[in-house]
Order: sequence, then C-alpha cells, then structure tokens
Amino acid sequence: MSRNKLLKMGLLAVMGVIVVRLFFIQIVQHDEWVEKAAAQQTLMNVLKAERGEIYMLDGDEPVAVVMNATVYTVIIDPMVAEQDEVEKKLTEVLGDKRVAEWGDVFQDKSRRYYVVGKNVERRAAEQIAEAELTGVWLQASTKRVYPEGELAANLLGFVNADGVGQYGVEGALNDELVGTDGLLKTVKDINNVALSIGEDNIKIPAEDGENIVLTIDRNMQYNVEKIIAGKAKELGFQNVSAVVLDPNSGKVMAMANYPGYDPADYGNVKSAADYINHVVEDPFEPASVCKTFTFATGVEYGVMSPEKMFVNNGETTVDGWPIRNASQESFLLGDQTLQTAFNYSLNTGSTQVLRWLGGSETDINAQGMARLYDYYYNHFGLGQATGIELIEATGLLYAPEQVEYGVASTYANMTFGQNMQVTMIQVAAAIASIVNGGDYYTPTVVAGKMVDGEFVKNEEPKPVRQTVSKQTSETMREMLYGTRRAWRSNGTDKEGYYVGGKTGTAQVIKNGEYSFDETWATYVGVGGTEGELPEYVIMVRVWEENKLADGQKHALPTFNAIKDYVQDYLRIKPAA
Amino acid sequence: MFRGEQWMRGYRVRWVMRRHKSDRIIGALTVVLLGVGLIVIYTIGPMRVNVLNATYGSNYSENYFVIRQAINVILSLIVLVVAFKLPYQVIRKFSKVVMFGGLALSALLAILAVAGSSLAKCELGACRWFDFGGLSFQPAEVLKIGLVLYLAGLMAERKKEGKLSSLDFWIPFAVVSGLSLLFVVVIQKDLGTGVSLMAIILAMLFMSGVKIQYFIATLGVVAACGVVAIVSSPHRVERLLTFNSEDSSDTYHIENAMIAIGTGGLLGVGIGNSVQATGYLPESINDSVFAVMGETFGFVGLVVIVGCFTILLMRLLRTANYLQDTEESLVVVGVFAWATAHVVINIASMTGLIPLTGITLPLLSYGGTSMLFTAAALGLALQLSCYTSREPRTEEKVSASAKTTHEPRRRVA
Repeated sequence: MSRNKLLKMGLLAVMGVIVVRLFFIQIVQHDEWVEKAAAQQTLMNVLKAERGEIYMLDGDEPVAVVMNATVYTVIIDPMVAEQDEVEKKLTEVLGDKRVAEWGDVFQDKSRRYYVVGKNVERRAAEQIAEAELTGVWLQASTKRVYPEGELAANLLGFVNADGVGQYGVEGALNDELVGTDGLLKTVKDINNVALSIGEDNIKIPAEDGENIVLTIDRNMQYNVEKIIAGKAKELGFQNVSAVVLDPNSGKVMAMANYPGYDPADYGNVKSAADYINHVVEDPFEPASVCKTFTFATGVEYGVMSPEKMFVNNGETTVDGWPIRNASQESFLLGDQTLQTAFNYSLNTGSTQVLRWLGGSETDINAQGMARLYDYYYNHFGLGQATGIELIEATGLLYAPEQVEYGVASTYANMTFGQNMQVTMIQVAAAIASIVNGGDYYTPTVVAGKMVDGEFVKNEEPKPVRQTVSKQTSETMREMLYGTRRAWRSNGTDKEGYYVGGKTGTAQVIKNGEYSFDETWATYVGVGGTEGELPEYVIMVRVWEENKLADGQKHALPTFNAIKDYVQDYLRIKPAA
Repeated sequence: MFRGEQWMRGYRVRWVMRRHKSDRIIGALTVVLLGVGLIVIYTIGPMRVNVLNATYGSNYSENYFVIRQAINVILSLIVLVVAFKLPYQVIRKFSKVVMFGGLALSALLAILAVAGSSLAKCELGACRWFDFGGLSFQPAEVLKIGLVLYLAGLMAERKKEGKLSSLDFWIPFAVVSGLSLLFVVVIQKDLGTGVSLMAIILAMLFMSGVKIQYFIATLGVVAACGVVAIVSSPHRVERLLTFNSEDSSDTYHIENAMIAIGTGGLLGVGIGNSVQATGYLPESINDSVFAVMGETFGFVGLVVIVGCFTILLMRLLRTANYLQDTEESLVVVGVFAWATAHVVINIASMTGLIPLTGITLPLLSYGGTSMLFTAAALGLALQLSCYTSREPRTEEKVSASAKTTHEPRRRVA
C-alpha cells in the first residue's frame, strides 16, 4: 500500500468516526440533549394576576379600603455597575429601604445578582430608573396597602408573604380575590430575555382577582369601632365586639372588634387570637338574649303570651338541678306575667315556657324539647353556620336524641342561652327574622363587585325561610320593646322611635364547669321608626378574662351608644 | 506527451506536465463552504452582537460580524485567486523568506509580550496575536505556510540528492520544525495550532519518502516532547484534565456544543432558529460554528458538511498523488495536512471526542487571518492541481527502504 493511500484510509477512518459520533449525538441521544437544552433555555414566567381590591360603601358609593401598590426590588450586577456612581445615587434614594452593605455588594464581582433594596416605593424607583445606572435594575411586585389603616382589620384579614389571604375577607374569599395567574413559557437567551424562536412558546394571560365590594358602610364601621373602643376603656374591659345588621336584607353594615390590629404590620400582634373576628368565628354562650327565641317559640305554639301568668319562686328544679334567677327581689316573687319574666330575665319563666311547650305544667318532656330544638336549630339557625361569606364557627346545639346531653336540664338551660354555643352573627340574623315579620335572610357582607370601575351590585337578598309568623313577630317586637320600656327611666330612647332589646349575662365554662369569676355580657337590640319595621339589629358583646361583665351594666350602655349613632346616621325619622 | 514549457521569462525553465484545468471540485467546494459559513454567520452574527452588548455593555451594531465576515469572504476569494494565478515557481522563491519571516515575527511577538507592548494581544497569559488597532494577526499562520513551502523545497532537494537520511536534511528540518513548535506551543501556549503544525510537519515527512524507521523515530521524539510540553505547563495539564472534570469553562463549552449538535436531531431546527447561539454556546461564530450548524442543519446537514470537507481533502490528497514533481506534491500534502488538522481537531473537540482546543474550522469559522491563509493555501493547491499527470506518482510504499526497489511495482489507482 502506498503512503498516499494510507493517508487516504486514515482520513476516511477519522471522518467515519466523526459521522458515527454525530449519529450517536444527534439521533441516538437526541432526546437527552433536547431535554438538557430545554432545562437551560426555557423561561417560565408566572404572569401574576393582580389580587382584587376590597371596597366598602360610602352611602351607595364604593370606596377602596384594601388596595395594591407596586413596590420594587433593586438589584445590582456588581460586575457591570460602577461602584462610586451606584453607591452614591442609591444610598441617597434608597434610604432605609437599602438591605445590603456596599462593601459586601462589591466584594465579589463575579456574583452578578445582588439585591440591594426591597419594598422601594414607586417614586424612589422612578428616580433610580431615571439615573440610568449601568448594571442596576428594578423588579416590580405588589403589596397590600390599607388607606384606612386599622379599620375593620379583623373583618378584612390580611395577605401573608406568600400572597395567600389569611383570616377575614382576605382568607374566606381568597379564591375570588386571588384570580388566576397566567403563564409565559418561552425560549430565552443567556440573559433571560424571551426569544420568539421555537414553536412551544405558550402565553396564557393572567386573570386578575375580583374587586369585592362589601356591604359594610365605611363611616358606620369607623364610628362603631370608635364607640366600642371608647366603651372598652370607659367600662374597663379588654374586648368588645359589635355587629350592625339590616334586618330587612341581612346585609351587615358594620362588624367591629376591639382591639384590632394593623394589617400592614400583621406580624406584630401578641397572639394569633388577635386576628379573630369574634362576630363570626368565636362561638360562645349567648345567655338570656336567647329568651327571645324561647318566648318566640312559645308564642308560635300558642302556649304563651306576654300577659300570661306563671308562678315565680326565685328558683325551680329540673332533674334535681336548681335553676335560679339572677334577680331575687321580693317583688318579683309570686304570680308574674311572662313580660315581667322577660324584663327581669327570669330563668324560671323561660323554663316554664319549655314545660308548656310539652303540654305540661310541671315537667319538661320530649315534645317540649323537640319543639324548642326545632325552632332553635331549624328556624333560627342556632348552632349552625349562617352562610355569611366569612370564615364561620358553627357553635353547638344539643339535639334531644343526643345521649347524656339531650336531657331536660340541658334544655332548661338552653331556654336562657346556656349549655349551647352560638356566634353573634347567628343571634343577630335570627333576631332580625323575629322582628322583621319572620323572614330569615342569610347575613351577608358582600354587596357586589367592581368591574372596570363600575359597581356591579349583587341581586337583592331574598329571605330563605320563614322563622315565625307575622303575628308572632309583632308580639316579639312588643316584648322586646316592653323590656326596654321597663328600663326607660334612664331616658335613653327618644319619643317616636321604636327600640327593643334583650340583655344577656353568660356564665363561662372553665375546665368543664361554670366559673364564678368570669361572665360575658351580651345585648341584642333592634330599632327604627315607631310603628314601622325595625331598620337595624345591633348585637354587642363585652368581655375580659377573669372579669365579671354584666349585660345590664356593660353591654346595654355599649348598645345604647351604638344605637344613638346608627339612628342618626341612618337618618331614621321619629314617628309623627 | 511531455513538452517543454517556458514559465516566466528569466525564471527557471523546466519540463512540466502540460497545464490543464484545475481541480474543479476543490475550487467549487471551497466556494460552497465559504458561502455556507457566510449564511450561518448572517443568521447568528446579530445574536452574538446582542449577547456581547447585553453582557459586556459593548456597542456593536447589529450586522457587525456579518459585514466583517462578508469582507473576509471577499478578501479570501481575492487571495485565493491571487494564489491560484501567481505561479508556484515565483512563490517558491520566497519560501525561505516566509519561513524565517514567520519565525522572526513569532520572536518579535514574544519580545513585545515580555515588554508589555499593546501591540501584543494576550488572553489568559497566552500571547498569540499582533494587534493593530482591532485588526489582529496570528504569526503562527505564517509559520504554517512557511513550513509547507520551506519543508517541501528542502525535502525535494535532499531527496533528489539522495540525502534524505543524512544530517544535511535532518538538521535544518529539526531546527525549523523545532523552533516553530517552540514558539507556538511553549511560548504562545497554543496547543491547537501546535498540533496542526505537527500534522503538517509529520505528513510531509511521511510523504517525503524518508525511511519508515526514521519516521517512526521522529514520532517517538515528538511524543517525548509532547509529554514534556504538557507536564511543563499547568495550563495544558488543566486542559487535559478538564476532559473529565466538572465546573470548568471548557466542560461548559463542550457540553453546550453537544447540546447544540444534539438538539439538531435529524434535520435541524432551521436557519435562524438556533437558541444555543443566543449566548449559551461560547465562541458561537468562531470555533463553535460547527455546533451551531449541527443545531441548524441537523445530522443530515452535518454529514453533508463533513462530506464536503472529506471530498475536498481527498481531492487534495489525489492531487498530491498525481503530481510528478516531488516538491509540488509535498506542498499539496502540506496543505492537505493543514486543512485536515483544523477540520478534524475542531469537529472532534465540538463532539467531545478530544479535549477542547481553540482552533477554527477552515472556511466556515468567523475569523480574518485564519480564513485568508487557508484561502491562500487552497489557492496554491488549486494552482498545482493544474499540473497533475494521468498516472500516479511512482511513490514509496509505507515501508520504503533500499530493499523495496527489488520488489515488483504494483500500480496504485
């Protein structure tokens, strides 16, 4: 073989190896390399949906109370950035928003990504952008801002660092508020710039979250919060909650908790309990306000009227357990009307109504318990979620068939609101139906939504069931009115107005037993023009750990203050 | 069939083969490959500009590389025509000038580098280029063409004198080859170019008809020097080691070259759709252009390109085999070895067959001087292809020695 031929063979052999190698890489290993390419070339950008804003009403006009603001993260490429220039400008503009020391930033120039500023406001970001500094760029993100500060914090909730709503409206309506993120999947170049090359690029635009308009009236919310904060200090109690409801629609006009917190600084609270909206999330024993429900049930079954007499001995025995009245004045003993029992919150009276419900004078029987339970649970919705658009507690109501608890002594207690747990919103919604002619409206905090700056109202709420007859409703309005009239010597209710209400002082179970050093005060009241249907329901609760709160002394004055404000604010006219 | 032909007046008159048409295939493939290279640079040049501007804040205009490459191609074609037309008998007069000029330039570069002159362009401690305000020039390219011309003359003359085995041949051969390699490999730390010089030297020596045992001995010396050279330079030890190590820029380079080639699949992603050229693949327009072509044209495209190179190289080899004049034949062997070394080393690097060596792909890579010198060499080979005879050279067998003359000759097609 000639040397020339040997070279030729050598050349062909080498080229052959190369072609085999190419076949191996391009055909055999093709998928593997495509995968590796995709791993480094694919840009997956989530197109963030903007979280919906939350509005309250100012009259009929929605006003934003939770908004989004764009804030910026400032990033530096130390390799390209000119240290002196960048340091001087950014130190000046960033101020306390600077999160890195310059020495650290420029120490290792091969690190080409360094975050130097966070939560930078738009104005500062604009100044940085205008300076056109090489190697400095801005990344926009959004955060929640609260133009009304702490207003309705427990109702509104907050958004955590992961963008998930927590507590309140933010938590309960997170799905509606959050919207749907879009996706941008595209091929990118080495500097992460999207390229139009390739056929697998995907762009799904983001769908922004809904802007929710609450039924809450901003002014009323603000003033109710102010009132309960004042009362808390004046009366010396740590916690006061209040809810104002429109009884003819179930719309919540104000839902206030004291103390609140700053949602913009939500991490700074003593405990997670501070986030709770006690109106809906905190079940408790409502105490004597429940007599309203017992008596309404009695009136419905025709076993009582306000004028009907019963014998009050100051206490009565059920299953060997004594049931005592709080008021033991001698003038209350002997034959009394049930209106008096209502006025002075006589537990013996409500227990007697339960006996009558079973058709008995002396015993609490199964029929009586079944009737009471049916009205409490099925008609008034006690011990079950109302369906309001918030995170809600169900509470607790023992059915008669419940082993151990479905007994006469439990039911006797239930006639005056013990041995059961409800939320304030359950009571307020039930009372609303009792005074409005018997129509139960599901309480609601959502009035509609803002679509492109227009307020799109939800359909007007319709009653979901009849709780009591119109006749019973009228009787109960009178009873509630009578209770206040009996106490009107203090002159809180002006002539020409209808105001009714019922106090409650609940014993609190601690370690499985009723405690004697802590009671919770409640008051539920209704009002409007005299001779017309009530226009508001107000429920108040006052309490503090290891303190005795009294319905008459603490909840009532709080109610009165709110009632005066609401009456004025709603421009309720006195009857001519 | 032989007839006397007078070359240029005043120059040597000699008997040559009748001048016929040049090897059209060599010429056509050269032009085709230059054209393909220009098209590829046209599509990825702007991407390269984009990457440089975004990453280093430079300010190249979008078509910077495209225009430069177009100019390079035009200049290369001019150089090719000049080398084709300028008679070899004229060129050969300057073989010593080119050879020793190349060595002198290399020495000058080394001195300038030591003096820290801005005329010497250095990267990572390796000073390989003269820099004349943006125009860079690698003296190693002069060494390549110098070696081809000088060694061909030296070998042909000694062979004619029957002195291929004497020191009269080996001393100048060793000195010139050794100095060239010393400058390129040791001083300029350019192993890739060193290997291509080595290929030129060894291929020409092999084809000169030197006794096979001498050739093998030379290989032994080269291998020994190679080991010493590699061990003496941490830079090169690293190069060899990176072939198996992670986290180095070379590993990244090869990995991304293979990603480009691999994603091309059978038919490629199509012109202008290379993603690897948008910054992932280093040296996308120069050393890595083969990988970009793999991504763009796929396996089929690369086989065509490799096929073009193979045919071109085989035609060079055939030309060398059919040139009766030993010196002319050896010149073409030198050009063949030069081009082959570049093609094989570049492609083998890009496909992960050998460690990465920064070397251009002839005619396709962006890069001024390399392309011009390649064009000159091919132009010269093309010129010589006009003088092939119909019969192959009565050439030495692989184990050429005194004994072989007694063996019956067998015709080689």
